[in-house]
Formats: sequence, C-alpha cells, structure tokens
Amino acid sequence: MSRIAEHPILGTPERGRLVTFSYDGRELQGYEGEPIAMALHAAGMMVHRYTAKRHEARGVFCAIGRCTDCVMVVDGRPNVRTCMTPLAAGMDVRTQDGIEPLDPDDPRAVRLASMVADAAERGGE
Amino acid sequence: MSDEAVRMTTNGASRSFSPAPLDRSRGLGDFVPAPDDDVLVCRCEEVTKGDIRRAVHDGMYTMTEVRRYLRVGMGLCQGQSCTKLVRRIMAAELGVSPAALDAETSRAPMRPVEMRVLGNEEAAGGADAR
Amino acid sequence: MNRHDLIVIGAGPSGLSAAIEAAHAGMDVVVFDENARPGGQLFKQIHKFFGSKEHHAKVRGFRIGDELLKEADAAGVRVELDSSVLGLYPDREVVVRHGDEVFHAKGDAVLVATGASENTLGFPGWTLPGVIGAGAAQTMMNLHGVRPGDRVLMLGSGNVGLVVGFQLLQAGCEVVGVVDAAPRVGGYGVHAAKLARCGVPFHLSHTIVSAEGTDHVTGVTIGEVDKSWQIVPGTEKHFDVDTICVAVGLSPMSQLLDMAGCDMVDDPRRGGLVPVCDESGATSVAGIFASGDVSGIEEASSAMIEGRISGAAIADYLGYLEHEGETRRVGELEGSLDALRQGMFAPKNRGTVPERTEEGCPVSMNLLEHGFLSDDEVLAYPGVTHAKGVHAVIECSQNIPCNPCQDACRKGCISIGENITSLPVVVGDAACVACGMCVASCPGQAIFLVDEGAGDGFATVTLPYEFLPVPTAGTRGRGLSRSGEEICDAVVESVRCVSAFDHTNLLTMRVPEDCAMRARFFRPSPADADEEAVS
Repeated sequence: MSRIAEHPILGTPERGRLVTFSYDGRELQGYEGEPIAMALHAAGMMVHRYTAKRHEARGVFCAIGRCTDCVMVVDGRPNVRTCMTPLAAGMDVRTQDGIEPLDPDDPRAVRLASMVADAAERGGE
Repeated sequence: MSDEAVRMTTNGASRSFSPAPLDRSRGLGDFVPAPDDDVLVCRCEEVTKGDIRRAVHDGMYTMTEVRRYLRVGMGLCQGQSCTKLVRRIMAAELGVSPAALDAETSRAPMRPVEMRVLGNEEAAGGADAR
Repeated sequence: MNRHDLIVIGAGPSGLSAAIEAAHAGMDVVVFDENARPGGQLFKQIHKFFGSKEHHAKVRGFRIGDELLKEADAAGVRVELDSSVLGLYPDREVVVRHGDEVFHAKGDAVLVATGASENTLGFPGWTLPGVIGAGAAQTMMNLHGVRPGDRVLMLGSGNVGLVVGFQLLQAGCEVVGVVDAAPRVGGYGVHAAKLARCGVPFHLSHTIVSAEGTDHVTGVTIGEVDKSWQIVPGTEKHFDVDTICVAVGLSPMSQLLDMAGCDMVDDPRRGGLVPVCDESGATSVAGIFASGDVSGIEEASSAMIEGRISGAAIADYLGYLEHEGETRRVGELEGSLDALRQGMFAPKNRGTVPERTEEGCPVSMNLLEHGFLSDDEVLAYPGVTHAKGVHAVIECSQNIPCNPCQDACRKGCISIGENITSLPVVVGDAACVACGMCVASCPGQAIFLVDEGAGDGFATVTLPYEFLPVPTAGTRGRGLSRSGEEICDAVVESVRCVSAFDHTNLLTMRVPEDCAMRARFFRPSPADADEEAVS
C-alpha cells in the first residue's frame, strides 16, 4: 500500500508537485493532479465511506469512475468520485457516512485516524 | 426546462429483443433459504442475494419489477456493478435462462449528473448557457 | 450546436484508430472521452503485444498508445477529454457533459467505441476495501504509480488475470496465488508460465469462500468446487492478504447504442449485449457505427483494426473515400484482422480445448491445469531441441498468432512460416550467436538461450528478467523450475540490457548441467540480494 519508487518497465513515475490537503481534519500530503484516492492509498487509507444502510466500509473497487464506491465528501460536496478527481492543494476531503461527512467523534473516525498514523509510522512513502 | 432537457428524461429507447413474458401462473415452490443469501449483490443500494430471491417469490418475475421493488440498479452507479449478477440470480430462481428475462432500458444520462449541471445546459444553436 | 463529420465516442485504441483513418480521408473528426487521459486501457498495458509486425508485435501496449496519439495529433484529430457522453440519439445527436456544462453536438456519422467494463462476482466480504477489479490494480500501478497492496490473491485465470498477476509482481507485490473455478487456465499458457516459474501457485477448480476483515481485507479463504460449483468441505485454504483482485471477464459498454435504437443482441460469446452490425461496424441505425470491445470483447490489437475498418467505411459512407479505394483498404484491414482471429484462442474456438496442436503435438494438460509445462512435456515441441553450444529453447506449446521470434533472429535459427499461429521451430543447423534478440522479443517470455554443456559440469541458461532490483554478475541464488520450485544453486554470469530489448533484461545464470533443461528462473539468495556482487 505505498508508492512505487521505480518500476522495471515504466521507470520513475511522473508526479506533480507535493501539496498539502486535509483528510478528516488532519493534514496529509499528496501529489497535485493525482486522483485523491491515490493520495489516500499512499497514506495507508483504504476506507472512503460507510454505507447508509449497513454502515459498512467501502473503498476503491473499479478505480475508473464507474462503481461509485470510492466517493467522499470533497470541499463540502458529497458523492465525489475520488478515483477520478484530481487532488488540489488545500482540498478538504472527508470520509462519507451515508451522504454526510463522518462525525469526527465517531469511534470509526478515531479508528481511521489511527490507521493513517500507523501507516505514517511504518514509513508511508 | 428546454426541449432538449425534456427529451433527455423522457426518451423512450427502443427495445429490439423482447422475450416472451414469463408464465405467472407457474408456481415456484416455497422460498428455500440458502447459505449465501446474505451476500450483497447491489453494492450501492445494499441489496442482498436473499432479498432478490425473496422478491421473485413475492411475484417479481421481471428485471423491471425487481428493480422498482428493491432499487437494485437504481443507486449511484446505475447498475454498472450488479445488473449481470441480478439477472443470473433471478433467472436461477425462475428456472429459466438469463436471456429469457426482460432487458434493461437504456436511458440518458449515462453517467450520474447533478441537477444543477443539467440546468446549465446550452440552448441548441450554440447560444450562451443560462 | 456543433456539427462534425464524425463524432467518435471513446478515445481508446479503437476510437483513435477510427478517427485517424477518417481524418486521413479528409473528414472533420472529434473524439469525446470521459477520462482525463486518452488511450482507454492501452496505456495500462506494459507487456509486449503478440501478433505479427503489422499488429505491433513485441511492442509494449503503452508505446503503441503513444504512437497512436502522435498519429491522431498529426492527422488533426480533436480529442476532447473529461467529456462524458450522456446520451446518443437516433438522429446522431449526442449530449456531452464537460465540467459543469452540458452541450449538444451532431455528427453526420457517429462511432461508438466505448469499450468494456469489468464484470463482478459476489462472495462474502467482496465489498470490503481491498477487493478491487484487476483493471483497478492496473490503473493504480501503471497509471498512478501506487501499489494496490502488499499481498494479493488473483481471482480469474483469463488473460486479464494472468497479465495483471505478473504486473503485480513487477510492481513489487506478492501474489499468493491465482484462483479459478474452471478446471483449466483460461488465458495463454505462456502468461501462466511466467507466473508459475516465479513461484505463484495456481488453484484451479477453486473459488473464494469468503474475504475477511472489518474495515478492509485482512485474509481470504478459498475452497475447491465440485461439478455443481459447490464448495467441497475440508478443502478450504486460508491466505493472509490485503488485496483481492477480481478478473472475471468483461462486458461491452453498449448502453449508448441501445438508447439510440440500434438492434441489439445478447451474445455470451461476445461478452453480453452487443449491437447487431456488419463487418464494417454499421449498426441498424443509419450513420451509427460501433467498433472495438463494445461490439464484442476481444483485445486491443483487433480493436485497432476494427476501428480503422469503421473509419474507412464511414469515410466511404459519407463520400470522402472512393468506394474502390475503400474496398481495397478494408480488404487489407480485414485480412490483418482475420490473421489475429486464428488459433487455439480464436473467438470461433472459444470454449473448446484441442487435444493436439495444428502440428500434431499434444496440447499440454499440465500447462492448462497447473500453469507450467512439465519436464518431459517440453521436448514434444519443435522449439525445444538439444544441441551443442548455445541455442534457443522456445517453450511455446499453443497455437497463437505470434511471430516476432522469427523476425528477431538474423541467423535464421527460428522458423514459423506463413501461418503465424504455427509453433516456432528451432532450425537444427543454424548457428546461434547468442545475441538474445529472440529472448527479448518473445511477448510470452517463453524463449531461453541454453548452453547445456558450458563446461566443468555446468550449463548456462539465459532468461528474460523484468523485475527490480536487477541482479548483477556474481550474485548467488537459486534456480527455479517451471513450477517455481528451487531446484539448484545458481550464479549470475551476466545481465544485459540494450535499448533494443526494451527493458527486458537478459540474465544468464550458471546452473548444474542436469538443470539445463529444467531451471527457468533466478531467485537471488536473501543475503546476496543486498550485497555487492562477489565473483
């Protein structure tokens, strides 16, 4: 669950400039222009939302904008397909709970935060 | 709404293959629970295999009816992920081939689009957007 | 509203090819694509293509994509990205969304080249983050430079599953196995063999019982299936994984054609709902055409030719091409397309498994059931011979349209002939100079240079190596058999890579003599993997 530094066929991936964005109120970094989902994935985050009925975790499934499982609340708008939407500096990205942003005091939010923290400790990029 | 917008929402796509309607007088026997009834089929609307099988036993013999009854294929992805699976499950429950079931009607918009964007539609002839 | 001679929906290999062909005939062409980048799935294909020279054989998919884009640009084709076609109407009008605007456009002709979408398969736990389509894994690795996970299970042994499985290894993931409910590998034997020799096991006649985890995948259980697809109790196997790739087939994205009123047919052999059309892609609605995967699941090579055929046909239909010229052009293209539709995996042969190849060699059941040729089986094929000194050993055992190995050898060591599905023959009296071009040119990575008696009880085996880190001369390790089993000690004698090999390193390893015809992959010893080379 991390970035490929060098690929045997593709070489060094082309990346935009490193920018800061907000994920569930915490600062994260990613490359400008890459899909938001990739920046999250690289940071160790695989959960994008919780479903309305069964409150189950969902994340990237098709990565191509068709399945809509990766949607999150981005800059206040819900149902944004993070696999297709390019990351911009200062973006506000929130875990979607049903159709609302996940309440930061929700135990699931706490769990997600520690997932990101663990990944960062393990060496992130 | 402009003429174009109306046309988009009321387009009646032609169906070119219409299988013969299934015989509704045929009994299906009792609903027998299966161990995988709890597996999700429609990811967007969170509808399980068991929900679909039960719907068939409730008398929903066509894809159209099951869709309206359960909302399978009516969520954000508009059936991209589940349609083939639903068809197979229904066909198995009805004891017919998947090709014997009615086809989905294809309608615009082909991708989810917000109402405010539809309202932003350029008038035909290339005039400024409203 | 904007009017165009031709509107193409989809800037993948088929759409771009059609646009180029039409633009060359002098038409005003616009291509709408919903993605941020053109090329469809082509840019995610990092493997070398099969076929013959006219089909871009031995060229990596993404390089073909680059060439196609350059050609489109030079031909004056306009590609509008981030442009989703929301609707297509019988009078050839389209409604397009770009950003927050919706506009209309009309074409004298419209070509739908929207390709296909991945199928899904439900199993307990399949909605957990970490369960992704095989295409999704490709997108992440090859477009965005992100590994999908660390430990992956691949469900599906068709070409997509096999090719993506290998790409996962190249991206640095561990692939714990390839699972398929069918009793046989669905894709090319050579694709399976590439995985098997790296130690990836095949679990055929198996399916996923359940994926486990709370917020994401942490493990998976698979089990054997009986003839009624039920799990056989007691056959469950568990793997710790963080990713499950699902590669269970593709379906044409033909909804636009359907809404435009084209006659459609549900054809399982083509992957699902496809338009009824003639060989030029003309549907039942005047002026609306279809080409590529949307008209029937095949592959990129055939999609490109179909696109060109449609482009020429549309140019003729609108009077931009003299009918005679079009007939000639289409004739050439159809010949090229037909050449691809031959052999064991031809659309017409789908679902059947021949007992013998066209030459009469036995088709390897071991390859089909386990992913590798067994030691005694290899000798049955004309590419595998014993000879003095270095010689090519071509472990190609299925009739697939493919012949770059023949073109690669300047010494005439390799012969396939007119019929490009024929198995390559290693010619006995030709003198191999060990240039390695054949090894590097084989899209199936099925060619090795072997010197069975290099001296002192050793043999050398030169194999294609497309992983990082690249071992250096002197690196010690183990030789792996075709089934991925460590069978002997091995030392790297040399590693070569020249630009003509296009990132396929040629690794020559020294192994005991009796492993000359058995060792087919090199795994560095853990200690030596990090140390400097020691001679």
